[in-house]
Amino acid sequence: MLFRKASFYFAIIGVVAALLLVKRMQQKPKDPGPVSAPARSPYDDTVAATGIVEAVRENVKIASPKAALITKVFVKVGDQVKSGDPLFQLDDREAAARTVSMEAQLTSMTATLAAEEVQVADWSDQFERTSRLRRDNVATDDELKRRQFSLETAKARVAATKAGIAATARQLDQSKVELGVLTVRAPRDGQLLQVNIREGEFAPAAAISGDPLLLLGDVDKLQVRAEVDEQNAVLVDAQQPAEASLKGHADMVMPLRFLRIEPYVVPKRSLTGDSLERVDTRVLQIIFEFDRPKFPVYVGQQVDVFIKRAPGSLGHAVN
Amino acid sequence: MFHLALKMLMGDRAKYIMLVGGLTFSALLMTQQTAVFQGLLSWTTSHLRNMRAPLWVVEAHVDYANETKPLRDTDVNRVRSVKGVDFAVPMYQGILKARAFDGSDKQVMIIGLHGATLFGRPPQMLAGNLETLRLPNTVVIDELGVQRLSAGRKKPIGLGDTFEINDREARVVGICRTERHFFGYPYVFTSYDQALQYAPRQRKMLSLILASPRPGVTPAEAARRISAETGLKAYTSDEFAKVTVAYIWKNTGIPMSFMTTIILGFIVGVAVSGQTFYSFVLENLRHLGALKAMGASTWTLARMLLLQAFTAGFIGYGMGVGITAAFGFAVLPGGQPPFVLEAASLIRTAVAIVIICFFAALLGIRKVAKLEPAVVFRG
Repeated sequence: MLFRKASFYFAIIGVVAALLLVKRMQQKPKDPGPVSAPARSPYDDTVAATGIVEAVRENVKIASPKAALITKVFVKVGDQVKSGDPLFQLDDREAAARTVSMEAQLTSMTATLAAEEVQVADWSDQFERTSRLRRDNVATDDELKRRQFSLETAKARVAATKAGIAATARQLDQSKVELGVLTVRAPRDGQLLQVNIREGEFAPAAAISGDPLLLLGDVDKLQVRAEVDEQNAVLVDAQQPAEASLKGHADMVMPLRFLRIEPYVVPKRSLTGDSLERVDTRVLQIIFEFDRPKFPVYVGQQVDVFIKRAPGSLGHAVN
Repeated sequence: MFHLALKMLMGDRAKYIMLVGGLTFSALLMTQQTAVFQGLLSWTTSHLRNMRAPLWVVEAHVDYANETKPLRDTDVNRVRSVKGVDFAVPMYQGILKARAFDGSDKQVMIIGLHGATLFGRPPQMLAGNLETLRLPNTVVIDELGVQRLSAGRKKPIGLGDTFEINDREARVVGICRTERHFFGYPYVFTSYDQALQYAPRQRKMLSLILASPRPGVTPAEAARRISAETGLKAYTSDEFAKVTVAYIWKNTGIPMSFMTTIILGFIVGVAVSGQTFYSFVLENLRHLGALKAMGASTWTLARMLLLQAFTAGFIGYGMGVGITAAFGFAVLPGGQPPFVLEAASLIRTAVAIVIICFFAALLGIRKVAKLEPAVVFRG
């Protein structure tokens, strides 16, 4: 009886359809997971930090000694320079002109000196001859005295001119020094990491707030400056090993050796390309050194840093 | 004897349809409304399924999944420093204005995924490659986004097409499938750094941190440790879903209105079925009386009535959930209205139908028990 009714089969179909739908609803797409391996700590207990690669000797921001026009740039980015090598030339036309005029003055004074020395010789000769005539009572005392004074006057004039020449020579030296200052030279050996000036630009003498004119660094030895949130500062211990991996390349790992902890906690600068300071966050900076790995590492590159927590450090009390 | 009972039940076609119809309607109402309700609740946690992560770390006062209270940049490293955390990545989420081709503004949900790992990426890509997000000014949109942002275009927006987010160019490099957001925003996925470019500048930009526990550490254990050590709040995705649903339950009238409909379905079922069955029993009282006079015990008659009630109940239930399932299959591709059918709600409906049938049968049994066999011969 029951099995002859269509409604019975409808009901069976209904239940089966509902169960199928339930089964289908339970199917969820698989967890996709990360595309590339994320930065993972190699240690069980760790303090994580964000770091930036920098030259071991801090980079030198080359400034201009005075505000002047730049007439020549001797270097380009990436050049290796030795201490004392010229980097760029400021406008030196004024100083050069002053030197030339000083040199001319010196020449003219030297000529004057020569003329005055002839004068001294003349008077000296006259004085000698008059003093012989005086001995024979041919010349008067008055004539002799006049010759003597004239000679001394001439000698005094020579001395004055000599002093003038010496003074002018010092001035010439000074203007040559000024000329030399206008050529900016490398303060130490290194590589030019940035060149932000072109010939014809004006170099300000004020303190540099933005990009430096030139950035000189030593990229043979690099170090990592790791920043740890001040709230985690107590968890950091000196002399603990650490590891850094390049941002976005967790497989490129560099072992780090502890160098020092910066004693001053600084406001965090956002490293996400935004130059604004986030003043509500301060960070402890820890400096690590590392040997150059096989893969290329550049100054200024961001790294993920994991610092081992010392056994028995404060952090263990929390767990 | 039971054959006879079924013949009695199905012999009168009009009564039979009435009885089964009432039960079907009742089952349909209860199952379908529950499914729509659960679908709606699932929308509130769709966020947690569109971005898959075992651990969600948020600000301590965040109440539910769609709420954003920004964290500080360095909190990512604080979470990474917690023992038992395998890795942690930053994420941005925010609602921004996108300008469609015709100049109209559409609100979109911007998700900034960690650029290197793209952790938390949507599980299903329909077109394009998610890894192209590493190029500048690129986004991946979902199907709803395609629909909304195509306004004014001759062809729907596709790979390589551009639109504007906050006056900045956004180039579509992929289309993904997402579950719909509770508030109906299309999802726009981009890299974290790019999302910060799109978003208006604020003091703190990091919305939340997605993390994963180390092998051997349960997500719940890792979440507990993160909460204890950092002062932030870490949830496993299941916990976060529960918290979110609890928040909706407590703070909106949606659950109450659906509950009302479901209870009404039950009452309608009880009333209609009870009444119909009772009148069916009354009408067949003569036949039942004859059976009793022939020597059938009350217990036998009761079993007959129970069989009749439960047969009708089964058929009504089957057709009810069948119609619900048909509805479900019909709306499944479109994703709207919300619909989630769970085994538990099928069982709940079955239990309710059993109760209704039992109640209806009980009314009939009471009548039959008091029946004098002589009644048959009176008329």
